[in-house]
Amino acid sequence: MLGSIYAMIGVALTLSIGVLKFLNFSIPGVFMIGGMSTWLFIRHGMPWPLAGLCALAVGASASLVVERFTWRWMRNAQEFVPLVSSMAFLILFENLAVAYWGSDLQSLPQLFGNADWRIGGLVISIPQLLGLALSIVLIWGLSLLLSRTRIGRGLRTIAEDSDTAILLGVDISRIVPIVFVIGGLFAALAGVLFALNYRQVHPFMGEALGLKGISAMVVGGMGNIWGAIAGGLIIGMAEALSIRYLGADFVDISVYGLLLFILMVRPTGLFGGASAGARA
Amino acid sequence: MSGYLEGVLVLLAINVVYAYAAFLPIAAGQLNLGVAGFAAVGGYASAYLSTTLALSPLIAIPLGGVAAGLVGLGVAVPVLRTRGIYLALATFALGEIVRASILNLEVVGGAAGYPVTAFIRLPTIAMFALGVTVLVWLLFATRFGIAITAVHDDERVADLMGLDVRAFQVAAFTLGSVIAGIGGGLYAHHFSYIEAQYFSISLSISIVLYVLFGGTQSVIGPLLGAAVFTLLPELLRGSAQWRYVLFAAILIVVMVIRPQGLITGAQIRRLLGLRSSASQKERAA
Amino acid sequence: MSATDPILTLDNVSKHFGGLAVVENLSFAVRRGACTGLIGPNGAGKTTVFNLITGVYPIDTGRIVLDGVDIAKIPSRRRIHHGVARNFQNIRLMPHLSTLENVLVGQHCRNGGLFGVLQPVSLVPGNRWREEARAALEEAGLAAYERATVGSLPYGLQKRIELVRALMAKPRLLLLDEPAAGLNPAETDALRERITAICRDRGITLLVVEHDMHFVGALCADVIVLNFGRKIAEGTPEHVREDALVREAYLGADAMEPRYAS
Repeated sequence: MLGSIYAMIGVALTLSIGVLKFLNFSIPGVFMIGGMSTWLFIRHGMPWPLAGLCALAVGASASLVVERFTWRWMRNAQEFVPLVSSMAFLILFENLAVAYWGSDLQSLPQLFGNADWRIGGLVISIPQLLGLALSIVLIWGLSLLLSRTRIGRGLRTIAEDSDTAILLGVDISRIVPIVFVIGGLFAALAGVLFALNYRQVHPFMGEALGLKGISAMVVGGMGNIWGAIAGGLIIGMAEALSIRYLGADFVDISVYGLLLFILMVRPTGLFGGASAGARA
Repeated sequence: MSGYLEGVLVLLAINVVYAYAAFLPIAAGQLNLGVAGFAAVGGYASAYLSTTLALSPLIAIPLGGVAAGLVGLGVAVPVLRTRGIYLALATFALGEIVRASILNLEVVGGAAGYPVTAFIRLPTIAMFALGVTVLVWLLFATRFGIAITAVHDDERVADLMGLDVRAFQVAAFTLGSVIAGIGGGLYAHHFSYIEAQYFSISLSISIVLYVLFGGTQSVIGPLLGAAVFTLLPELLRGSAQWRYVLFAAILIVVMVIRPQGLITGAQIRRLLGLRSSASQKERAA
Repeated sequence: MSATDPILTLDNVSKHFGGLAVVENLSFAVRRGACTGLIGPNGAGKTTVFNLITGVYPIDTGRIVLDGVDIAKIPSRRRIHHGVARNFQNIRLMPHLSTLENVLVGQHCRNGGLFGVLQPVSLVPGNRWREEARAALEEAGLAAYERATVGSLPYGLQKRIELVRALMAKPRLLLLDEPAAGLNPAETDALRERITAICRDRGITLLVVEHDMHFVGALCADVIVLNFGRKIAEGTPEHVREDALVREAYLGADAMEPRYAS
């Protein structure tokens, strides 16, 4: 199930919206970078755990580059400028990948043998289950980071009001990159898990799959990281149900239809409302 | 005229139409990330009308625009109750829904694409592009243009000055959708074949990028942005991917150096009002 | 206040933000054709009163009656049609519009129908509305800045443009929030004379929030003093200046003399 992938991308997006009020469209691009790098490193003979770690490093670095060129310069610019620049990064990442490796689907080797776990008629893939568990642990860690540490307090102050945060002595130019690194790590990890589990990557996977993280974020309530998990699982479930009952062609209609429906009926999301900074 | 030149000019004209489609809501402070979706509605609706009902493209294309406008109105009215980023997200969702729906709509060919029998050439397309440009230009010489800039700059004060903020936002957005639909209709009738994949989120994003690159404070900005990003790649050699890479990189750098876009309203006024600014300097001295 | 012919009456108006009462059971009347000052220490709720009259915030209880109409029940956008216009403490012009266009925005309530909205005011040289706006700028001595983008103009000019914009609505009641703030003494005197002349010539009633007591004393016939969202005194400037409560509010109990804020 793709739910945990969407949840992790949703967390990356929601962190950026919640703290910086910045809809970061480059996150799906970083997801693609995570997936493509994993494939690339494994193809060059790295063992998969090392390839995954390297892919995370690449994703986090890409996210830092985005920070340098969007947020850093445009805190006081017109409202859409950072959003639009982050979209330009999505296009940049995608086309760089196409330019180097072509737009074809790339396959990874089977890594885990047959690791399915059968209970009655139910087939559960153990790597997928581990991926889900890992993402929940990491999101739990993130929520601890936000609530318990000094960095977390700084981030929450920025989320309330960045001008006040500066007055209170929060060093924005040092703490904001942390948001981008964490967001980049989550998005890249989603890409790594996707590559290892589904063993297929391509340069437009960010557009095809990563953007569904936006649905996860909105359905769960923008700015709320636990909401993003619930949103991701709901989106994953909606996909599975529409494949089962409507056919594979209706998956995108259901996912984005759900997004549009939530925006019209309850724009704060199913679990939103209390969280800070859902406005953009 | 060589086929190559005609091809470039057709692309330029269609991109200009798309750019104004994205510009109108941006001028009122709303971001439409689903321009491609509205273009798809207009493109498919007009293609269907001209193919099955044998309507002239000159009638079918504006009707396609109306269809796109109705969809735009249907989204803007409920979503504009809330603010800011929500409309951008809703239009993004709508664009993806339109694309995915067309893939499943067998009456217009589904995933196989839709052949269009009627064909229009550069003069017709240029005429439409000119018409749209003049229309937007005129609109910005009226109180409407002033009002949507006012709404963009300060909603609260605009409201207290008696402006119906939401009505102006809905009007700007809907009119933008109509123009997007016309752009889609032009594309469909020139290339004789349309498929859902063309109307992707990448197209929507590129269009918004043109407009922000050119500048959102004046009606010249979108024209300039569309022109630069249609003509520049033609001057460059290399594959389509590298052109996109360059396009994105240039945009990112321009947004860092000049976030207001290439041309601003103040510059236009300075250009147009040489005499009055000269006399202003005299008085100040 | 024993105003016999009030243009504006606030009747037991209250406003709470969360648990905090910013305006509490406030009642006062503004005499038609006169100039009334609304003073009080920082945080007394003066600007909030303006925001309640113009509808920036809805009131919790009470009535706001303008010429017999309870405008509290009217949406904020429609109130300017009933003849109440204002400026803002921190100038709020539209930064991307030119001076002339900002003034044209001020006319909107008189020319905002579909026909008015589609009139090409910036295109036809002799357009009636455009000429009216230009004449108003000329009268205010701002004609040289007609085409300038307001965001780039200095503070003092922006304040004057904002006043022209408010007057374009042809209000019966004009609310001015600290019109003299940030001006030097000469500018303040010029502003006072201009405001007096405008109100006299056009029959506009004025309600002014101001810190500068000299300015209020010279301009206003009536003064209302607020503290913590309540009215603590009203009367002529001289009367109010002697009031013990007012002295206390401004300076604490040992006050000798009300402060004349610069």
